[in-house]
Amino acid sequence: MRLRGAILLMTFATVLAFTGSATAVEPVKPLIVGMELAYPPFEMTDKAGKPSGVSVEIATELAKSLGRPVVIQNTAFDGLIPALKTGKVDLVISSMTATAERAKSIDFSDPYLSTGLCLLLKKDSSAKNITDLDKAEVKIAVKKGTTGHIYATTRLKKAQILVLDKESAAVLEVSQGKADAFIYDQMSTYQNWQRNKATTKVILEPFQRESWAVGIRKGNETLKNSVNAFIKEFRAKGGFDQLGDRYLKEMKDEFKRLGYPFFL
Amino acid sequence: MKHLLINIDGQPVAVAARIVSWFLVALLAAAMFSFAFSQLQYGWEWSAIWQYRQKFLQGWMMTVIISAAALVASLVIGLLTALARRSSFLPLRYAALLYVETIRGTPLLVQILILFYVVANAFGVENRYVVGIMTLSLFAGAYLAEMIRSGIESIRDSQLESARAIGLTRVQTYRYIIFPQVARQLIPPLTGQFASIIKDSSLLSIIAVSEFTLNAQEVNAFTYSTLESYLPLAVGYLLLTLPISLISRTLERRFHFAT
Repeated sequence: MRLRGAILLMTFATVLAFTGSATAVEPVKPLIVGMELAYPPFEMTDKAGKPSGVSVEIATELAKSLGRPVVIQNTAFDGLIPALKTGKVDLVISSMTATAERAKSIDFSDPYLSTGLCLLLKKDSSAKNITDLDKAEVKIAVKKGTTGHIYATTRLKKAQILVLDKESAAVLEVSQGKADAFIYDQMSTYQNWQRNKATTKVILEPFQRESWAVGIRKGNETLKNSVNAFIKEFRAKGGFDQLGDRYLKEMKDEFKRLGYPFFL
Repeated sequence: MKHLLINIDGQPVAVAARIVSWFLVALLAAAMFSFAFSQLQYGWEWSAIWQYRQKFLQGWMMTVIISAAALVASLVIGLLTALARRSSFLPLRYAALLYVETIRGTPLLVQILILFYVVANAFGVENRYVVGIMTLSLFAGAYLAEMIRSGIESIRDSQLESARAIGLTRVQTYRYIIFPQVARQLIPPLTGQFASIIKDSSLLSIIAVSEFTLNAQEVNAFTYSTLESYLPLAVGYLLLTLPISLISRTLERRFHFAT
């Protein structure tokens, strides 16, 4: 009886000792990056269903520079900031514009890309610029939570705003003529126009300039500094140029032809 | 002590027992919620959404209007379809069957998208609110049709034979024998379906119908206060569905005649 008790005690102690030493060696915490994989060519999935795109590459390189494995968390765009705030993701790299309003909730890194808001118009629209669209009978489609949505609700007081969940639904509304215009960023507007040449037209001159940055939870100064250092280094060694050539070659050439600046 | 917590089926419940038992249940629910929320490291920010209270109210009103319209329309559609299912004109019977099986067998989300972007577009119906209400009515109508039909068919043959024996026409039989009994039987499932319509109206947000859920989501998009936007949403829907349950219980008691 006493011998059994002794053996039990020793086994227990040994197990404890080994679990103790196992936790002494901490496994490297993965870097969880949130993005919405519905925004080609920046955030998308390849044919096998794996995340791919410019932002995915940036995330992978960044994680490599921090010595951590990367995990891409596919989250709806308007759920990214809540996910960041509650700690479900560590960073947001999702072509998100740095605005003063968003900066009240989260921190932003230095910008890594410049773009602007443009208009995808329905075929028989007579509007020439954004102010032409601020009329009571005009319907403007926006994607929920984007800077286009914010611009429309704060600056276009007379027009009717249609708030949609998905970019594809908004493009469908414009091409079916149910909406007069879709406010979105320059590159996607160009792509959507290319895919719907018969039913839409574009104004690719941006009426509001914006820049994209990486989102970081407030209070995480060390991570913010690492991200800024990475962006500076990556740009210096031509990383962004390479990504631009790989994913955005066609758009780059077309924009050069049309005379729009292209900043990646 | 025991009589405060235990109630044998059928006996009326004393007021003291009601208070004590509800209090215990509420305490348990509150304990669970406060535990769940204490685990979150969440910075609550109610001031942000208080600014947007107008938006919440407008969305809530729109949900009330849409649900009320869909309620009435679906009852009419359900009634007509149930009668059509029992019609002696075969094409009508089969058309009704096709409608019921298709609607009950596909998700509401898919129906909303197809009816708005394909069917309404083909017929040139532009107004998304009208299309939304019609979609909801068609959806609920199919379920109501089956409930009404099963109610009608549960009337025993002996009653129908007696009706024929005393010379009542088909219409008179429906009016005086079948429908009073069916109406009573239908109250619980009907009110369940009505509560379901109110909650399903939230799906209309995907075609940009500015109802309660979409407005709460927009406020969330502007203020990044997720829980503070969605908790009022839950309360708002409860404010609509709880009265329906209360009305249902009152009606059940009123129509509780012996059969």
